[in-house]
This record gives sequence, C-alpha cells and structure tokens, in this order.
Amino acid sequence: MTRALGWLAVLGLVVGLAAGFGYAPREAVQGNVQRIMYLHVPAVLTAYLAFVLVLLGSIAYLATRRPGWDRLAAAAGEIGVLFTGLTIVSGSIWGKPTWGTWWTWDARLTSTAVLFCVYVGYLLLRSLIEDPEARARYAAVVGIVGAVNIPIVHFSVKWWRALHQPSTILGPERSPIDPAIGLALFVNWVAFTLLFAYFLSRRMEIARLEEQT
Amino acid sequence: MPSNWGYVFAAYGIAAVALVFYWRHLARRTRALATRRAVKPRAA
Repeated sequence: MTRALGWLAVLGLVVGLAAGFGYAPREAVQGNVQRIMYLHVPAVLTAYLAFVLVLLGSIAYLATRRPGWDRLAAAAGEIGVLFTGLTIVSGSIWGKPTWGTWWTWDARLTSTAVLFCVYVGYLLLRSLIEDPEARARYAAVVGIVGAVNIPIVHFSVKWWRALHQPSTILGPERSPIDPAIGLALFVNWVAFTLLFAYFLSRRMEIARLEEQT
Repeated sequence: MPSNWGYVFAAYGIAAVALVFYWRHLARRTRALATRRAVKPRAA
C-alpha cells in the first residue's frame, strides 16, 4: 500500500511538472519565474496540512494517551518542517527577480520563518527528552501552542501591510487565476499531498519500529 | 521581460535534491530498523 502510494506520488509529480512547464502558459507579467509557484504554493499548503495534523495528533494524544497519536504528530511535524523549508527557499528564489531581493521582513515571510523555527524547536524538544511519555506530553503542548502560528501566517497579508500578495487560492473572493494556471497548481497540490501521505506513512512506520527495537 | 529560467531551475533543483534526500533517508532508516529487529531475537 505504502509502495503504491509512493509510485502514485511520483506519477503525480511527473504530471505536475508537465502541467507546470508544458500545459500552463507563460505568465504575462512575471514571465517564467511564476512557474516557481507550482512548487511554492503546493509546498506551503502541504506544510499547513502537516501542522494541522500535528495539532490534531497532539490534542488526541493528550485526550487518549495513545502513542499512535504521538507518532502521527511527530511524523507530520518533521515533514511539515521539510515543506516549510522548501516554501521559504522557493519563495526566496522567486523574490529575487520579482521583488529585487532574496528576503524582506514582510509580515508573511517573517511569520513563515517563525512557523519554521517553532516546529524546528518542536523536533529539537522531542530529541532532547528520553522518556517517551514525557516527550509525547511536552511535545503535544508545543504542537498545540505552535498551531496558533498557522492562521497568523495565512492571514498576515490581510492583517498587516505586506509586500507579499494576498491569498489567491484560499482567499474569500473568487480566484482571479487563469484556468490553465489554476489547473497546474491543483495538479501539483494533489501530487504534493500524495507525496506527503507517502512520507507520513513511511515516517510513522519508522517511529513504530523505533519503539519496538 | 527576462526569461529567468536560472531561478526556476534553481528552485526546482533544490526541491528535488531535498525531497530525494528525505525519501532516501526514510528508506535507509526503515531498512536499518528492520534489520536490527530481525537480528535482535537471535542475539538474545
């Protein structure tokens, strides 16, 4: 099942690349550099999904004390950090030709950097505590408190004056995106979600094996 | 408007390296744990 999910993710990524580089047109204002969005946007949506799972796993662990929920939170946290890192790096590379700078202390960028640091801290905390029960309990608290940052990142472009553009996919208004660009984004989002599901399954299996050995 | 392909390939290249590295890290870790688990009962 996990292996099939992996191959499905690879297929999705290949179709996503074809959609982003072949099907989707060259964006009229930004040119080819806009194609980084087929990586940047699915990466951040996947990171959101991962951190929501950390939140749910943490709440469920504190409520039930079942180690499976802690394994889910730990696995999702690690993968969420990976995808947040990809979001920051790809956004920075996009920003240089578009904004003229690799980095600026804009509300969206800063809150995303804080989100990254919070979950790196979450993973560090997990690595520092040896007792499994105490580790799961403390990590669950950080996993719940850290999730406060998710809406701050998402709504930062509305709450503060920001250089980063407002949400065009998860925004309240109908998306102004060209249908071909929207479809390429959707295909890549599905591919990244499949890849996330594959990574999550493998990472949870590792956590289960670690507990047994 | 400049083509900026260099930035596009850099972004996708870094992402590909990171994702493949993590994929291989998970595969190696799973194999190592599975081997350790298989060896453990015989050693005991």
